[in-house]
Amino acid sequence: MAVGTHGGGEPFMETGPPAPRGPGRNGGAAGRPAGLAEVVRVADRIREAVESVIEGKPRVVRLALAVLLAEGHLLIEDVPGVGKTMLAKALARSIDCSMRRVQFTPDLLPSDITGVSAYNQELREFEFKPGPVFANIVVGDEINRASPKTQSALLECMEERQVTVDGATYLLERPFMVVATQNPVEMEGTYPLPEAQRDRFTARLSMGYPDPAAELEMLDTHGQSSPLDRLRPVADAGDIRDLIEVVRHQHVAPAVRQYAIELVSATRKHPELRLGASPRATLHLVRAARAYAALDDRDYVLPDDLQELAVPVLAHRLLPTAEAQVERRRPEHVVAELVNRLPVPSPRK
Amino acid sequence: MRIRITVMAALATLAGSAGLYPLFSGRAWFWSGFGAVLAVAAGGLLVRRFRLPAVVNALGGLAALLLYLTLVYGRGEALLGVVPTPGSLHRLGELAGDGWQAANRYAAPVPLTRGIRLLAAAGIGLVAVIVDLLAVRLRRAAPAGLPLLAMYSVPAAVRQDSVNWLVFGAGAAAYLALLMADARDQVGGWGRVVFTPRWSEEVPMAGAAPRAASGDRTRPDSSGLSASGRRIGLGAVAIALLLPSAVPGVQPRGMFGLGGGRGGSQTVTTPDPLVSLKRQLTRQDDAVVLTYRTDDPAPDYLRLYALDKFDDDRWTFNRMQSSGKDQLTGDPLPAPPGLSTAASRRVTTRIAVRPQVARMDFLPVPYAPARVTIKGDWRVHPPSLMIYSLKGSAAGRSYTVQSVRAAPTAAQLEASGAYPGDIVARYTAVPHNVPTAVRDLAVKITEGATTAHAQAVALQRWFTVTGGFRYDLSAPPPRHGSDLADFLLHSKRGYCEQFAAAMALMARLLGIPARVGLGYTAGTRSGTGEWTVRSRDSHAWPELYFEGAGWVRFEPTPSGAGGQGTASSPPYTVPEEDARPERGGRTTPSTEPTAPNPQGGATGDTPNHRKEDKTDKLAPAERPEEDGGLPVAWLTGGVLVALLLLAPMAARMLTRRRRWAAAAPPDPARTGRPRPGGGRPAGPAGAGGGAAHAAWREMRADALDHGLTWRPSDTPRAAARRLTETLRLDEEAAGALGRIARAEEQARYAQAATPPSAEGLRADVRTVREAFAAGVTRRARWRARVLPPSTVTAGSAAARTAGERITDAVGRLSTMAEQATERFRRDRD
Repeated sequence: MAVGTHGGGEPFMETGPPAPRGPGRNGGAAGRPAGLAEVVRVADRIREAVESVIEGKPRVVRLALAVLLAEGHLLIEDVPGVGKTMLAKALARSIDCSMRRVQFTPDLLPSDITGVSAYNQELREFEFKPGPVFANIVVGDEINRASPKTQSALLECMEERQVTVDGATYLLERPFMVVATQNPVEMEGTYPLPEAQRDRFTARLSMGYPDPAAELEMLDTHGQSSPLDRLRPVADAGDIRDLIEVVRHQHVAPAVRQYAIELVSATRKHPELRLGASPRATLHLVRAARAYAALDDRDYVLPDDLQELAVPVLAHRLLPTAEAQVERRRPEHVVAELVNRLPVPSPRK
Repeated sequence: MRIRITVMAALATLAGSAGLYPLFSGRAWFWSGFGAVLAVAAGGLLVRRFRLPAVVNALGGLAALLLYLTLVYGRGEALLGVVPTPGSLHRLGELAGDGWQAANRYAAPVPLTRGIRLLAAAGIGLVAVIVDLLAVRLRRAAPAGLPLLAMYSVPAAVRQDSVNWLVFGAGAAAYLALLMADARDQVGGWGRVVFTPRWSEEVPMAGAAPRAASGDRTRPDSSGLSASGRRIGLGAVAIALLLPSAVPGVQPRGMFGLGGGRGGSQTVTTPDPLVSLKRQLTRQDDAVVLTYRTDDPAPDYLRLYALDKFDDDRWTFNRMQSSGKDQLTGDPLPAPPGLSTAASRRVTTRIAVRPQVARMDFLPVPYAPARVTIKGDWRVHPPSLMIYSLKGSAAGRSYTVQSVRAAPTAAQLEASGAYPGDIVARYTAVPHNVPTAVRDLAVKITEGATTAHAQAVALQRWFTVTGGFRYDLSAPPPRHGSDLADFLLHSKRGYCEQFAAAMALMARLLGIPARVGLGYTAGTRSGTGEWTVRSRDSHAWPELYFEGAGWVRFEPTPSGAGGQGTASSPPYTVPEEDARPERGGRTTPSTEPTAPNPQGGATGDTPNHRKEDKTDKLAPAERPEEDGGLPVAWLTGGVLVALLLLAPMAARMLTRRRRWAAAAPPDPARTGRPRPGGGRPAGPAGAGGGAAHAAWREMRADALDHGLTWRPSDTPRAAARRLTETLRLDEEAAGALGRIARAEEQARYAQAATPPSAEGLRADVRTVREAFAAGVTRRARWRARVLPPSTVTAGSAAARTAGERITDAVGRLSTMAEQATERFRRDRD
């Protein structure tokens, strides 16, 4: 199922760095950049749109938006039926951009994702048929049902934003975001994502059950017709690109960077963790924090942003030790504990 | 070989010998001692090269010492200048004899003659031999402290002023270093110390060069242990130096001259029967012995002992037989003997003896105790009603005494009947050798008196008024019966002991049962029903027995400024026509003896005693009446305590002022460099940021002061949110708190902050402080005002930092020493 307005799926082989079309950086001078107001305005519209479908989950929606603006990828993990796919689709649909959905199954092949080169008999040459990955937003449903080989086909796309097929490299569109959903790894018939691939997701979030009131309202709205059908795009890909550009130039004070580094390196030294967070995690954390600050109408990042994002951004990359597993200590707990323990940076006395 | 320990032992001996400095005038003795220590250490090292018994080690040290002494003091007669010959030994002996004579002739500090130097070197050398033997050869570093201590005790015993604290500190540190070196060696013998693995430990990567082993490979790493050892040692030395100066009464002069201000001495001794009475009376400091609270408007004396036996020379008491049934159980004591017809009243006295009082195994109680409530094994002697303990001391105890105070009238005493036989037998015995002149005198004085009471009154009157006696503390204490006779017949100078003994003796001679009471006068009133007894209130008085009234007290000792200051005469002892105002003033015994006291000329019982004969001759009226010293001391102490109590508050206020002053907008002329691209007044680090930081720190300090939790992991807005929630702050306070947090947040993390106004923030901080105060308990509120924990925390943090620095310095020093030893060893190899 391919929905969207993808303009023919024509891959561009080579592009220079996209020129900032929006207001961009405001010289770092007084007041907040004008672009920030735009971010807040557009983000609010998207949020409203998504929240009309996903009720009672403002934090989840906000996090998803932050990942989008941080040019990251989102992994939604939860039990079936809590609205994982709904969130992914709502997010994609509220933005007027190309969106593809891939249902991951055990028999899915890598070429089903990236595309294939087929021989065109008329032109007598090989022609590249782009796969579903050539879209602004790719929704990978139940990603842990596919075989590791297929899963790893996503790797290159996600990190390098390009696809290499038969020696030819095709750049992906911007913005490019993979929203993958997966069932918890303990479920039957799943292939747990390898660490390397988990590390490429900026954040993992779980939906959680809605509270009774939200569930009741859901019964009402979903009773007549799917709210997804009524969802109209409120922004386009260009808008998002502008927003990303603004977010990139959010100010991160040295103390806050230091805090991020301390937070991440603390996971590497923690006795209950077998594998700590990677330097890429630090990068993702700060990026997401920039977006988070922008959504909060701030042109500077606070340690609060990092604290808020620490669990979603870091926890899925960590491997607990066997002892910790026996004691049912999950990486989420460890990260939350670190956040509670590490002193926030404060100016020198 | 054990070079390290040898060096340490020599150092400890040297540092210990520094404590001998008060003995000598000049410093050359130290170098003599230094040489001796070096010689002994070298000798010990040499002997230890061969595996020989410990005795040989000591002999080697002694031989080295002898060689050294010969080299320095008997070179002329020695073979090759070093090897002792009979001649050189003789020379040394001569020198030592000279030195010995000089040491006996002069008081310390002695002049440094050659003989004295020889003796000093020999003595220090001997200590070095013992220390070397114990610490190095026998590996018993701890007992090696004993000879060192012996060295310290010499000047302490000889000289009044004690050893300088710096010198003591150096000696103690050197001894500790010796202990540490020894312990390191011993611990090292067990192998490498195993640490529990921690994740912070650096794990060497495969293929990486192994870390350079600290020290050589055979040396186990005991640095962690020695670090804690250093800490403990440092603490021990600090406590040894500081504690005595903080505890009053540890030493008369305060240890190491640190403690003890005016007068210094706080030790209080209770009188042993008569012996220490005089010492008490002549004490310079007049320390408080006890305080008590009584419902008696004119309290009686507090008696310790009743001396019921006059042997040939002096008053003492018969041997007491103590048994378990004498133990105080809270039951009423035996009834006071003889008290039947005379009026009496019950008195309750609550007595608190000062903890500094030494050797008080008898309880001072008002006569006659009827019930004593005190913890511990205290017993009563039924005939005399003395309360005593076989093992405990009254020092520091508080106890309650219910006593029956006989209040006979003169008429009742006049009318008292015959004495019981046992009383007569026991209390009228007089040795035969009492001079007849004394007997005659007693009869002469009481001529015309028909009753026992009239005789007693006549005696008292003779002592105090007509006899021409003078109260004089400089009189020697009576040691023999003849001294008493001399007092009565010739000198007529004495103090309470003579007066009491003489009157009791004369009463016995006249056939009146008598004994001598010993203890304290009622002291001085210090409040409503509160009384204070000092060492100079020690007193002795005669007690005479009258059937119907029992034992009643007489007062032959002159009272007031010219006598025993707080003594008072009971009303029944004063004839009506004789009752003069100052004598009858027993309800106001407030005429305290003053600092320059009548006993000025006492023989030097106290070391610092100064003869002040002139004051002795001053008329009583001319002496300053009030004891000015103590109130001043109390006042100073009070002010100091008040200052101490106020210090945290003051510190808090100062910090607050300093913070805001620092946050004030700086001088425009000095406002930093102009920023490119903007006319903004200041960046986050500028004045606005300063104000925000100041406000934030103030708010944080206020929160800590009010006992609110402050987590270092809280960001400004998280902290504000948490405080708002926990205290349920109202809108205004929450808004103010939010503004402070926001300003701080911007100042810390934003690129371009809008500088907040310092005044506004200050007002916000005030609002928040008030809200904090309203939100916590009353106790926390008061603590925030009086004892703000933020100051205390800052103070303890500063102390901790200082402590760590000292430890670091010590550690560095010992590392340097180690390196030096290492280098020395390498060079040697």
